[in-house]
Amino acid sequence: MAGSALRRLMAEYKQLTLDPPEGIVAGPISEDNFFEWEALIAGPEGTCFEGGVFPARLVFPPDYPLSPPKMKFICDMFHPNIFADGRVCISILHAPGDDPMGYELSAERWSPVQSVEKILLSVVSMLAEPNDESGANVDAAIMWRERREEFNQIARRLVRKTLGLPT
Amino acid sequence: MQLLISSVCMALTSAVIGNAYYQKKQFYPAVVYITKSNASMAVIYIQFFVIVFMFGKLLRKIFLGTLRAAEFEHLLERFWYALTETCLAFTVFRDDFNPRFVALFTVLLFLKSFHWLAEERVDFMERSPVLGWLFHIRVASLLSMLGILDYVLLMHAYNSTLLRGPTVQLVFGFEYAILLTVIASTAIKYVLHAAEMRTDTPWENKAVFLLYTELVIGLIKVVLYLLFVVIMAKIYALPMFVFRPMFFTIRNFRKALNDVIMSRRAIRNMNTLYPDATPEELRQSDNICIICREDMVNHSKKLPCGHIFHTTCLRSWFQRQQTCPTCRLNILRAPAVNSTALPRAPGAADEPAAAVGAAPAAGQPGPANATGANASPAIAAPDVGLGRANGTPTGANAPPPSFAELFGDANGFPNLGGIPPPPLMPMLAPFMVPPPFAYFTPVPVPPPPMPLDLTKFTDEELRAMEGNQRKHIEERLQLLRNITLMLDSAGILMNQYQGLVARLPPTTVSTSATETTTSATSLADVASTTTLASTTSPVSSAVYDKPSTSTAAAAAAAAFAAKTQEAHQIKSVAPTIAATVTSTSVTDKITIEDLGADEDDVPTVAATDTIAATADAENEDSSELSELRKRRLKFLEERNKSPDSAERAASE
Repeated sequence: MAGSALRRLMAEYKQLTLDPPEGIVAGPISEDNFFEWEALIAGPEGTCFEGGVFPARLVFPPDYPLSPPKMKFICDMFHPNIFADGRVCISILHAPGDDPMGYELSAERWSPVQSVEKILLSVVSMLAEPNDESGANVDAAIMWRERREEFNQIARRLVRKTLGLPT
Repeated sequence: MQLLISSVCMALTSAVIGNAYYQKKQFYPAVVYITKSNASMAVIYIQFFVIVFMFGKLLRKIFLGTLRAAEFEHLLERFWYALTETCLAFTVFRDDFNPRFVALFTVLLFLKSFHWLAEERVDFMERSPVLGWLFHIRVASLLSMLGILDYVLLMHAYNSTLLRGPTVQLVFGFEYAILLTVIASTAIKYVLHAAEMRTDTPWENKAVFLLYTELVIGLIKVVLYLLFVVIMAKIYALPMFVFRPMFFTIRNFRKALNDVIMSRRAIRNMNTLYPDATPEELRQSDNICIICREDMVNHSKKLPCGHIFHTTCLRSWFQRQQTCPTCRLNILRAPAVNSTALPRAPGAADEPAAAVGAAPAAGQPGPANATGANASPAIAAPDVGLGRANGTPTGANAPPPSFAELFGDANGFPNLGGIPPPPLMPMLAPFMVPPPFAYFTPVPVPPPPMPLDLTKFTDEELRAMEGNQRKHIEERLQLLRNITLMLDSAGILMNQYQGLVARLPPTTVSTSATETTTSATSLADVASTTTLASTTSPVSSAVYDKPSTSTAAAAAAAAFAAKTQEAHQIKSVAPTIAATVTSTSVTDKITIEDLGADEDDVPTVAATDTIAATADAENEDSSELSELRKRRLKFLEERNKSPDSAERAASE
């Protein structure tokens, strides 16, 4: 019998494969290592990220699901809640106790009832509705708040880039 | 790249050796020539390191196969740290710096690297889906080989230290001792993981074993490090090079200790506070533990909030956080509220009684209150307590039933588990003149009918009164009306009391005896009113079938009554009437504030009276009532401090 983290990840993978949520594909990069996943997230419709397909990488800790995984976009992203290096900054990915931005309620934090699916759905909604209070990318937050048209333009360019289209 | 370096190295070495042999023609002169020439020796040293490196690669191929990217990264990182520390160690032993010394350090580093790799491998066991027999053979042989080597080298260092006194061997002996502990913990982990893999069911106690292994090994390491630092500081200089690993070891040990403590607490909580989920509860839910996403067949626990998880999953989560994973109820802050178990009263009797005793004892009267037409033990009890405190039985029941009788119920619940029964008040009489009933005459509102003694209800009667039918609701409304009446009278009393206080001269010592008794009486009234009001909330919330909320408040009310009595007791033992008056006024001030809050509350309760018993209204009111209850509880907390102040006043 393998470790509990592995069994849970396998169960989640199975569930995600059998009943995938709309606009999300996720699974381990290789079947040898269930602790590193790759996910493809479709930009939510009706937003400036519409039409894009954004690849991200999830790294799970050995004590998953007691600790949250880390998520990082591996394409260029310009978003108030995504660091310049692609790391995603949403409260569901933060363990209660550490609070990088100092404002998150513990009710929004990681708990073992969360799952890969919930994380990815949160990321989709984060793409649709950025939280400009948490400045993972301050430039993007300011632009999103004050020069929305410019932000949308950059986002659309990123969308074209992820699709391999000329920008 | 590596190939290039090794081949260049090989070529250089052969050139050096060839050159020497070509010049000297014979073996010994050639060796002497090479050792005398610095350039040649440099080449030989480099060759030596390359050979060590290649040997390492060979061993790695044999014992570990290909390294994963993460393993390699960690190895590299740790290697650089170890290298800098070795260089630091060189500074301490600069006097006996020679090739042999360097060689020994190289061997140490070499072995260390394999220890790290073995550790990583064993940690990886838990995360890999399939492991063949090759893996087991490799890891087992690697572990035993490293263990034997460590032991041999440790013994060598020990013997040489015994023979020749403290030398650099001290450092090696210590390092190998540390490595031996590393191997020991790795081997234990390996055995545990392997044992779990052999079974088809998750091994529940593995986490606990791992935890204790970590703790013991951590302790040994910390002791070793401290010993080493002390010895080194005495013989040589402060060993800077062990500070970093020592820091990490101590930190890990602290973490392990903390984990063990947390885990123990979690286990204790789970064993005592939370009931095992019954099969029908499991059948009702979707039967999947949301932590591990596996079926719950056995060993599941139900939290106070009603969520069910595997015992082991909960335990490992509680080690980190003492909240319910689903609703984040803080399980440490609300340990005794066992509301969900209460409605099934017959089954609740065999629950861990000591821990939840307070909840059933206080909670059971809650639903009962709602049903009695105008019966309320919660109201009766404080009245009785206060009445006795004043030496005046105010209640209609001449021999007032004790708290135990009132709160204990026929179901055989353990009585007042958390709340100590209030002490009897025998010595009140000398200072507290029994207030004549004449002082009650200004009350224009006739006192509401005294509640019946609830202990007289049989179980069937009580059960019959619970429910949602019109009859039951009417009864509850009647009860609420009574409460409003009582509150109104309390308000009027309060007004009178305030007038009285305003008329009192500022120096209370000169107050006449009559006024003293008056204020004492009023105090008693006021106190009883506050008690009454505080009992209102449990009663009214109980109306909405929320025993969970009522339990806490009812328990608090009982505690409050006890507190009031304490205050009176203090007063009674005060030496003079003057002191009595002072302490009275101290208590008065507090109660005035309380009553201010009560008056705010009156309209709320009155509103509940008038509103028709529709479900919507009920919800609305219950939120208002919960607000009220919160305020009440807050007040009671403040109130806890009041005996102190009274005491202080009495001692003055």
